[in-house]
Amino acid sequence: MKFRCERDTLAEALATAQRAVASRNGALPVLFDLRITAIADAIELVGSDLEITNRVTVPAAVEQTGVAVLPKILGDVVRKLEAGPVTVEVEGDEAKVSSGVFATTLRLKAVEEYPRILATDGAGAKVDAHLLAGALRQVVKAASKDEMRPPLTGVLVAARPGGTGIRLVATDSYRLALRDLDGVSMLEDGQKVLVAAKGLNEVQRLAGDGEITVVLGEREAVFRTDKAEVTVRLIEADFPNYEQLIPQGYPNRLVVPKEAFREAVERVTVVGQGRDNANVRLQMSTGGGLELSVSAADVGTSTGHLDAKYEGADLTIAFNPQFLLDGIDAVDASEIALETVDHLKPATLRPADGGDFLYLLMPVRTA
Amino acid sequence: MFLHVDLDAFFASVEQLLDPDLAGRPVVVAGLGRRGVVCAASYEARPYGVHSALPTAIARRLCPHAVFLAPRFHLYEDHSRRVMAILDDVTPLVEQLSIDEAFLDVRGVRRLHGDATAVATAIRARVHDEVGLAASVGGATTKFLAKIASDLAKPDGQLVVAPGKELEVLHPLPVQRLWGVGPKTLARLERLGVQTVGDVARLPVESLVHAVGDAHGRHLHALAHNRDERVVVVERDTRSIGNEETFAHDLTDRAAVERELTRLADRVAQRLRAADVEARTITLKARYGDFTTLTRARTLGAATAVSTVISATARELLGSVDVARGLRLLGISGAQLVATAAEQQGTLNLGALTEETERDERRAAVERAVDAVRARFGSGALAPATLLDVEPRSSERS
Repeated sequence: MKFRCERDTLAEALATAQRAVASRNGALPVLFDLRITAIADAIELVGSDLEITNRVTVPAAVEQTGVAVLPKILGDVVRKLEAGPVTVEVEGDEAKVSSGVFATTLRLKAVEEYPRILATDGAGAKVDAHLLAGALRQVVKAASKDEMRPPLTGVLVAARPGGTGIRLVATDSYRLALRDLDGVSMLEDGQKVLVAAKGLNEVQRLAGDGEITVVLGEREAVFRTDKAEVTVRLIEADFPNYEQLIPQGYPNRLVVPKEAFREAVERVTVVGQGRDNANVRLQMSTGGGLELSVSAADVGTSTGHLDAKYEGADLTIAFNPQFLLDGIDAVDASEIALETVDHLKPATLRPADGGDFLYLLMPVRTA
Repeated sequence: MFLHVDLDAFFASVEQLLDPDLAGRPVVVAGLGRRGVVCAASYEARPYGVHSALPTAIARRLCPHAVFLAPRFHLYEDHSRRVMAILDDVTPLVEQLSIDEAFLDVRGVRRLHGDATAVATAIRARVHDEVGLAASVGGATTKFLAKIASDLAKPDGQLVVAPGKELEVLHPLPVQRLWGVGPKTLARLERLGVQTVGDVARLPVESLVHAVGDAHGRHLHALAHNRDERVVVVERDTRSIGNEETFAHDLTDRAAVERELTRLADRVAQRLRAADVEARTITLKARYGDFTTLTRARTLGAATAVSTVISATARELLGSVDVARGLRLLGISGAQLVATAAEQQGTLNLGALTEETERDERRAAVERAVDAVRARFGSGALAPATLLDVEPRSSERS
């Protein structure tokens, strides 16, 4: 195998493949490596921890086709080289990476030990890349990182009843994010799958312009963007029944400009940075708008006021500041409605003019 | 915020307290034999160079006019207990280090007793008024610095280092102040030109590791930046909250025993909640009719002050107890106490996934409501239903 490729192109492709490489102890050793395949006028780079596989293809001047498995430091080696063309050449049991007067040799790993990455033919469904990436941005953050609760580490992708579009849902049991996407058809009627949230982060990251092709297999979902192809394992578990959690109506409704709300929360939260129990209290009253406060033991207290439209009973409710900020960020609108029942029941953040997104957030119980 | 409470010249102060003639005079409590050493020297004796661990013979030469006394430990223990009881009033989060010093975690008592400075002042006043001794108190965001602060405050003083001011206090101090800097380490550090704690802080951690070894070097580096992750560890045996009950007739019926456990768990839980703490470890104590006593303990995944969790744990522990042999005493205690989180993140009801969390949360809420009712209408106003047909026991103690 021998090819030449521009440093920047190669380094970026390696970084993408490398993100899927195993990072955890105990993984199969070969999963810490990268697989490179040189074909006619391009090279394909693959990194995988078996849960997520990133596959990138970039143009290269290939002199000799072939396959090699190399340690992932290849990425660091390439990044440190001078700008310009980089040559990678397999000689015996080593690969030589060179640029100008600098050269590094890396020991090859056994190609046959690298897991077989499934070919992903199949036509698949096409989704607008910006639309899908935007929806993922709103939802994926609410998924759990707790591997003891596998069903919550995924994002539910479900066909909406009646066959119009899909719904994305994620929850870590403290908050839940839900987004409906109209006119997207990648599922059959009634079909639903649970896709690992970590993989969907990659999809969001690699979404470019144009379209993303989604191919659903038995055990994995494949997302093909114009930059790379991400294969994500499906989680074999039932997503909890979330529909009953969403209150049908709310007695209290606060409407605030999104940016002002976010800034106000960030401003009062600083005092509690890195502290447990430095929750943000929202005090709402008709005519009085919104009072925010954070009190951190041993540090101090911050308070603030925001003009806001409020209808309902006077209420003080407390939230974990990060969860609240995640919710505010996720709402894609200039005005946010915060709807509440009381200081213990889940509250909802959504665009003030309705729309297809909601963020359900459990309050913090205060003494 | 941590407080370090240290009784000044403790043994000597107790002797001066008990014998007014000794007040104001140099007093040395020491082993009086040929190879005895000084246990404590009153502040009047210290200007002569007398300090603890000094051989008594040398102390006599340095300060011949001092009163030399053999230690009377039972008296010191008695006074120590009275001081520790005052500390326990402030917070259950007390870690007694020795007979005359203790750490307190006062983060949770702000609403009750005020900030660290106020708590320190109150402790010193109470120890002075109620026991008659002088205590020095240091306060800081780490245990390490709190102990240094109490040392700086001596005698009979207090120094609470405000958050953010830690390094200002710490860095000018000589490097010997750091825990673990003895003569050998000191010599190695001096070779690096280190004299103050600040000098240590400015050294790259690699140089420290090179000079004094890996673990030690990292440790010193952390301390010099006031990094000390240790929390107050409430002693397992002496710091627990428990109730026990002796029965007029030995119990042999498992159902009756389980009822008693429910009753005990209810009381222990209530006392834990009243103290604003939760217990990680639940211990069951059972004594047979022949006075053979056994204890069984289990550490829970999460600390609790919920009676149903405590009684369920106690019932599990009862599995290894031969009830038929006849029990004359039962006890439940909660240890490894931690301060109750005042605010708790709620959980969405996700069915089986969150069932356990929710059940415990609901019970905790119910029991807090029970506490409120009992506070208003007396402890008999509400009781677990399993106890309704049973006469209250009389010989309870805790």
